[in-house]
Amino acid sequence: MAPLTPYTYIQCPCSDTSFSPSGAPTSDDKTEPEDDDRTFDPRAPRANYSLYPLEYLLYCEDCHQIRCPRCVNEEIVTYYCPSCLFEVPSSNLKTEGNRCTRSCFQCPICIGPLVVTSLEAPPEPTLLAADNTAQPTGPYVLTCSYCNWSSTEIGIQFDKPNGIYQQLAKMSNGGKPRLTAKEFRERSRKEKEGDPESPSSPLTNSDVDAELQFSQLKAFYQSQLNETNPQAAAGLGSLADLGISSPGSLSRIMSMYTGAGHGASHKQSRGRLPVMREARTLDEGFQEADLDDSALIEKLRASAFEDTASTDQRLAQQPSLPSHHPLLFVDDLRPIPYLLRTKRSKRCPVCRHIISKPESKISNPRFRIRLIAGSYIPTITVRPFHAPESHNVPSGLRPPVPAELWLAPHRASQYVLTFQNPIFEPVKVTLAAPAATPGRFASTVTVLCPQFDISANTDMWDDALKEEGEVQLQLQRRRAGEDGGPAQPEPGKIWERGRNWVSIVVEVVPASLRLDGLPPGPGGEEPDRSPLKEDEDVLEIPMFVRVEWEADTRDDVGSSTTTRDNKEAREKRELAYWCVLGLGRIARG
Amino acid sequence: MSSSSSSKRRSILPPVSNSGPQAPVNASSSAKVSDNSILTGTHSITIQSESVVHPRARLESTSGSVLVGRRCIIHERTHIGSTDGDETSGGVVLGDYVTVEAGAVIKAGGTEIGGDTVVGVKARIGNGAKVGKNCTITPLSVVKPGETIPDFTVIYSNGRRRTDKRGVTELQHRVQARHVEVLKRLIPNNPAKRQAAAG
Repeated sequence: MAPLTPYTYIQCPCSDTSFSPSGAPTSDDKTEPEDDDRTFDPRAPRANYSLYPLEYLLYCEDCHQIRCPRCVNEEIVTYYCPSCLFEVPSSNLKTEGNRCTRSCFQCPICIGPLVVTSLEAPPEPTLLAADNTAQPTGPYVLTCSYCNWSSTEIGIQFDKPNGIYQQLAKMSNGGKPRLTAKEFRERSRKEKEGDPESPSSPLTNSDVDAELQFSQLKAFYQSQLNETNPQAAAGLGSLADLGISSPGSLSRIMSMYTGAGHGASHKQSRGRLPVMREARTLDEGFQEADLDDSALIEKLRASAFEDTASTDQRLAQQPSLPSHHPLLFVDDLRPIPYLLRTKRSKRCPVCRHIISKPESKISNPRFRIRLIAGSYIPTITVRPFHAPESHNVPSGLRPPVPAELWLAPHRASQYVLTFQNPIFEPVKVTLAAPAATPGRFASTVTVLCPQFDISANTDMWDDALKEEGEVQLQLQRRRAGEDGGPAQPEPGKIWERGRNWVSIVVEVVPASLRLDGLPPGPGGEEPDRSPLKEDEDVLEIPMFVRVEWEADTRDDVGSSTTTRDNKEAREKRELAYWCVLGLGRIARG
Repeated sequence: MSSSSSSKRRSILPPVSNSGPQAPVNASSSAKVSDNSILTGTHSITIQSESVVHPRARLESTSGSVLVGRRCIIHERTHIGSTDGDETSGGVVLGDYVTVEAGAVIKAGGTEIGGDTVVGVKARIGNGAKVGKNCTITPLSVVKPGETIPDFTVIYSNGRRRTDKRGVTELQHRVQARHVEVLKRLIPNNPAKRQAAAG
């Protein structure tokens, strides 16, 4: 097991409401301590869903609260194809589905991107220039440049190098054209009339694939509904384009349940029972189940393992495949049109203000609004106090591998926490950590300086300009240490201070992981001596952070007269949250 | 301030480690072997007509002779005939129209690469492996020692295999010929210099 590098996770307050202390019996609420006194347990199963690194968190400026990816509301800004980066309007999405309908395909074998290439060799460069200008002519195929798959393997070639999606839709594997509903009707009509021009073979099951069958069934039952009950048919017809966001469909659903309009029509129809016939013929969408699998079995016998499609390959396929039997073989696979991706904006769940909004242009990766938590709450970094002095590593060389970070049980070790203030106001930070970490192996924790001020964030160049003063300060600290050996952290004092950061020292005494050394429970009962669970040896300290600062009050629009008075008025703000410091793994033994 | 000068980034080409004896090279006059390629070993290294060896490619004939077929392209930082200190005997044979891409390693020990095969970037061919014709070893793939790969095999995606059914061998030959044509103009070489160095 590798030792951990120290980390800091922050708990999003959204999980507070559903928080229930684990381990303790929840039956009696009166014996429960007050909400504020409860220690957050990073080992509770729920904690997995509420702890985030600072970089994942957003911040709502209006609620003054941290927002995590789980609690924000997302809205889709644009849909686009990840391959051609073309934006797809949401109206197209409803009619054409969630895949790229241009010429972007993924390889059915290895999901690599496919390219359209001409089967004909490009003209020789040694030939005359006039001949060179000739464009390569078809037929065209889709090829994968990674695994060398080509659509010739499934017998598909294209006449044109563009509009591959539409061309592919008209072809089944093996190059046979697929019938559309219109063509099918045409052919079956000719057949009935005994048209001598009609194709020799009558239409069979194999001419009708799943997609065509669905459209035929839909058309048939639609016509049946129209005959029996025009009103209901209209209802069902509009159900087809039912959108959740459309208020019309909502009212229709409501009326269905309340039975206002629907009940009337029901009564009316009770008089003459509607007789609805089921689909009977092929052109009505009826297909006899083909129970004869002997051809499939024969093919399976004749083929090797490599000829069968893997589960991954089958799952990657488009769900509505024109195929009669279950997808088994590699030559049943079809090029996969790229799934569309989305760009989303995020809203605060409470005040509905937008807290993250990407640029709607696909090629532009910037954000119009992005309120990341890192620019509002202090960054907390942890490092061991007695870390080896980081040398000036020359670029091009790797930094040295850090020494083992195992924590020795029963031996006090110190960690430096550095708080960096991102806001342009001085802040006051108050820390609280339980004296012993929750869990079976309780390590003791002492925060040497639980209360301190951090000066405001200023222009980053101030550091450089003030460098000499800083150096003086640093020297002072070092010199102070030199008097009595190496500098020692003192309780109640901060360890180091910079322009907008403060370092303090936390002392921990890791518990032993020996199961026989476990203390008995509070009621004297036998402690849990089950073997060590996964990651139970990680020393995690829950810490409550409270940040206070003064900010200018937000002046409301239109109150220009009062702003002058308010100019002096400062608003006191505070933000409090739980965070978890992961220090490392405790050594066994 | 003294530390700032030492941490200044230097970008110089690392020296070519030209250790080991110069191999007896038997290169065709139409082959293009870069001066900066490393040809070491005791057995013969034969490079047939119109093949191209990029700078910093390493051909080693310590345990056996190396034969490079016609119109092969051997990219930079490849290591053909690598022994890694093993006591292997036997050399390496590359067929015609073979491409060995950058950083690929082909171990010595009777290893054979069939014609028209492409060995991808940083791929590894174990010693004594027999790779058939028209194979594609995709980047970072590994062929185990002593393995026999049938013709037209594609090794991709952590060792999965399939058969190449494109049938574009003729087309690839033409592309390779043009590629060689261009490279011969781009790669400087001075056969006299190498001769002098060998002598």
